Amino acid sequence: MGTLMIGFKENKAFRLFTILMFLLIAIALTAPFIAPYDPLEAVMRNANMPPSAAHLFGTDKLGRDCFSRILYGAAYSLGSVIILIAMIFVVGTTLGVLAGYFGGWADAVIMRLSDMMISFPGMILAIAIAGILGGSLLNAMIALLCVTWAKYARLARGLALKIKECDFVLAAVVSGGNHLHILLTHIVPNILPVMVITAATDVGAIMMELAGLSFLGFGSQPPAPEWGVMLNEGRQQMQTAPWLMVFPGLAIFITVVVINLWSDSLRDVMDPRKANKE
Amino acid sequence: MNSTWKKLAVSAMAAMLLFTAAGCGGDKKADGDRVAAAKDILRVGVPGFADSLDPADRCNSWAVMRYGIGETLVRFDQKMNPVPWLAESWKMNDDRLTWIFKISDKAVFSNGNKVTGDAVAKSLLRTFEKSPRAKTMFQYDSIAGEGQNVIIRTMKPVPTLPGILGDPMFLIVDTSVKDRDYAVKGPVGTGPYVVTSFVKGKAALAANERYWNGKVSVKKLEISPIDDANTRALALRKGEIDVAVGVASGDMALFKDTTKYRISETDSFLDTLALISVREGKPLADKRIREALVSSLNRQSYCKVLLRDTFIPGGPLMPPSAGYGYDELIKLDKNRYNVERAKKLLAEAGWKDTNGDGIVDKGGKSLEINLIFCSNLAELPLFAEATRSDAGRIGIRINLKNVDDNELNKIRATGDYDLLLSDVAAEQAGDPAVFLNMYWKTNRDGCNSTNSSGYSNPKYDELSDRLAVEFDTNKRRQLVIDMQKIILEDCAAIIFGHPRTNIISGTAIVNAEVQPCDYYWVTGDWTSATMK
Repeated sequence: MGTLMIGFKENKAFRLFTILMFLLIAIALTAPFIAPYDPLEAVMRNANMPPSAAHLFGTDKLGRDCFSRILYGAAYSLGSVIILIAMIFVVGTTLGVLAGYFGGWADAVIMRLSDMMISFPGMILAIAIAGILGGSLLNAMIALLCVTWAKYARLARGLALKIKECDFVLAAVVSGGNHLHILLTHIVPNILPVMVITAATDVGAIMMELAGLSFLGFGSQPPAPEWGVMLNEGRQQMQTAPWLMVFPGLAIFITVVVINLWSDSLRDVMDPRKANKE
Repeated sequence: MNSTWKKLAVSAMAAMLLFTAAGCGGDKKADGDRVAAAKDILRVGVPGFADSLDPADRCNSWAVMRYGIGETLVRFDQKMNPVPWLAESWKMNDDRLTWIFKISDKAVFSNGNKVTGDAVAKSLLRTFEKSPRAKTMFQYDSIAGEGQNVIIRTMKPVPTLPGILGDPMFLIVDTSVKDRDYAVKGPVGTGPYVVTSFVKGKAALAANERYWNGKVSVKKLEISPIDDANTRALALRKGEIDVAVGVASGDMALFKDTTKYRISETDSFLDTLALISVREGKPLADKRIREALVSSLNRQSYCKVLLRDTFIPGGPLMPPSAGYGYDELIKLDKNRYNVERAKKLLAEAGWKDTNGDGIVDKGGKSLEINLIFCSNLAELPLFAEATRSDAGRIGIRINLKNVDDNELNKIRATGDYDLLLSDVAAEQAGDPAVFLNMYWKTNRDGCNSTNSSGYSNPKYDELSDRLAVEFDTNKRRQLVIDMQKIILEDCAAIIFGHPRTNIISGTAIVNAEVQPCDYYWVTGDWTSATMK
């Protein structure tokens, strides 16, 4: 936390992108208060209206206000991505640390499982899993969890293997420390910064993948104000009502850019090698 | 990062952008060559996908007929009446079981063989042998040829036999050709076109030089399946296709310019409807809830505003174009849009919002209804979402479930739904009897398995039985009207609307007319001013 505070004070880029990130989160949290209309309320006489003072981003095929839907979509998209990345982080890191620390059959089983998952093209496998489970946000999250955990497990295993051989871990073993104590006190805290940076860097990519699954009909379902779903709905009127694609597309673009730049600057702040150089 | 590296990075980025932009430009010369080369081919973009051209295989006969490869004994006119095609006339004997169809003396197959009564009989027998669906249409005692006549003797009286033989399934093929792979090369039919290649659903066709029913102007046709309606519209705008079959309502405005495009539109015989499950234990088993739900839906607005007048609002089962009393019946429909009535009906049924969550409840249970739909047609998700929104206003929560076509059919078969939304042909084989029986005639001991909704009304069944054996046209019409009245009274289905179908072509194409009957797309009458 201290490193982050120092980074916030000293690293201009990190400061700027952290503020933008907070802005995004604030939009997501306050959407119900700042959205001018109910995102699900259809006012059919207003269908497909272009952007105007009354409807900043125009209206969709059912006369719903696109601006309100995009604001609500921030909560929907960001919330689901944060939950998903947390799930991937916990599952992948836990399995990777266990494999690396204990070795033997645990390592063999977990790593062969991870090899299997990695040997398929990620998005195709996610589409297949989501297709079998049926289209819903939860199922899309399960599909992405299934294909992404392996990357975290391999990384965590590699780090755990390295740290396991360090003198301070050997000293802990000699001093009679049990496995749980060594894992929680010595291994996990030491791999955490790298894992956190990896997770932060993946937020943008996962958001794109989740929106992609929703766009293809495997994720969130209409009438949910999710950006991928909105893009898909807008696609059907791409030529006559382009605002239905432009604004959700821009929302995804801006959010992913901000998250990616923030995670890059976070890496700069938390990178121990950089700190050593300085 | 020093300034040299920065400059290098910026230069590299600019170069990459230029490179990308160059890629977007395309090769104009190559495009021009392609257009020039394509001048002698008329390209048609169509929805749907046939993976085989064997007319006896599943519903592929539709593609064979729509592509102008095969023809039936009769065809349907603008009002869905069967009129002569390969058969120039027909009559029924007094026994009401024997029908004699006289085949046109001019008719020949594309290989030059004459279409005789015997050839037609063999073709019909092939259909019965290979297509399980044929037996559900009628059962024959004998089918035989005699000169230019084909004599069909049915097991029971079938008043609609000529119409049934207009179904694409019964298109006439030359069965004397044995060594032909129908799936890839298509059958030897009597239509204005013959197949030159069929790869991955894309059909290349050539004019049938021996066509018996006039001269075919278009020498080469290429039919490309483009499932997405928006992509089809884009392809027509870009000039990649010359004719688009079925442009979505949202894209119609793109083709307003009458100097460039010709729009042929017509009222179809299709229903966009929601089947209602009234099985015991289902929320919609209570007629008052059904009526409340239907009264809450502003179907006029869906069709006029959301679908921009490309749909005729629904009410009765049969569309107005079918001539089965639409105007009279829609006035009798007491469940037209009336939100106050809908709320009152719910209150009478004991459903009130006691916990203030906006959803009515009774005995601690909220009123929730599952609506199953498939998004293969643009209007279906629109109707589903509009229903959800309007029903929400009177306190009914609609849970939408979007499934694929196969899943939808499975759910329809099992009856595991409250509402099931889809498009259905209201007239099959030129008559509403099949449609009216399919979903609402009592399914007693599995005798009508397509009725999975649990709906049953003895009066309706009695009318259906009378319709099955009634030969008098006026009496048949009255029976169909009476059956619709019962469905309206029982509120046993939600008819959202009836689509207007279209074919849009460049102005150089003449006679690319859409027909009310969905069996016919490409015809021998099509001509193009720009083709060689």
